[in-house]
Amino acid sequence: MYVIVVGGGTVGYYMSRDLLERGHEVTLIERDSRRADWLETQLGSIVMRGDGCEVKFLSQTGIERADAIVAVTADDEDNLIALQMAKRHFNVKKTIARVNNPSNVEIFKTLGVDEAVSATEVLLGALEPPITT
Amino acid sequence: MDKAGHEVVIIDRDPNQFSRAASRGVLTNDFRGNQVVGNGTDADVLRRAGIEDADGFVAVTEGDNRNIMASQVAKHIFKVPRVVARIYDPERAEAYEKLGLHTICPTIDGAKAIEKTLLEKK
Repeated sequence: MYVIVVGGGTVGYYMSRDLLERGHEVTLIERDSRRADWLETQLGSIVMRGDGCEVKFLSQTGIERADAIVAVTADDEDNLIALQMAKRHFNVKKTIARVNNPSNVEIFKTLGVDEAVSATEVLLGALEPPITT
Repeated sequence: MDKAGHEVVIIDRDPNQFSRAASRGVLTNDFRGNQVVGNGTDADVLRRAGIEDADGFVAVTEGDNRNIMASQVAKHIFKVPRVVARIYDPERAEAYEKLGLHTICPTIDGAKAIEKTLLEKK
């Protein structure tokens, strides 16, 4: 599977590393060039420097043949725009977002994102059954 | 718009922004509108600002993506009838205009205005 990961923070780094270990093809997009340099020392040449929300830049990532794109920056709005561009311009089959604000899970789905995952919600779910007084 | 008699609510995530605007004379004492501190892409903050009763919504933060997201939430989640987003990046503005979002691109508009002035006035 060819997967594009937008955002090379902690989540993006571990996710890319894991996907590579499982034998998938990965491109990791990171906007900050110093962070990208570090990522390259860990993951090699799969790192691309640029803005994952820009159509022109995305078109250089081989996005047309991507099976999925995952946006995992710390900013919900950046994740949303990157995935909308991927879907609308390049027709990527599966778009997956990390959302920081749990109420954005439903909003993202309404706005055309295939899957939205909230770590906050997952952690809250781990507390189930809810503690009652 | 407040002076023209409309009811206005301003959202800003920086609480100091309101006093800064006041001290610069942008937001004068006679401004009757409400000020809400919070992230304008957050549905709960928008609800607090009364978006469910809003006739119009304008997103003019310095971040294109924030404006795009806030506008889409206003338009598609809260069904605000009139929504305008400021988008500096011409490419992004064009892309979202095509998707049915009303966008203002100051970069393109500014360039056109400058060109017009240059050609018209000696």
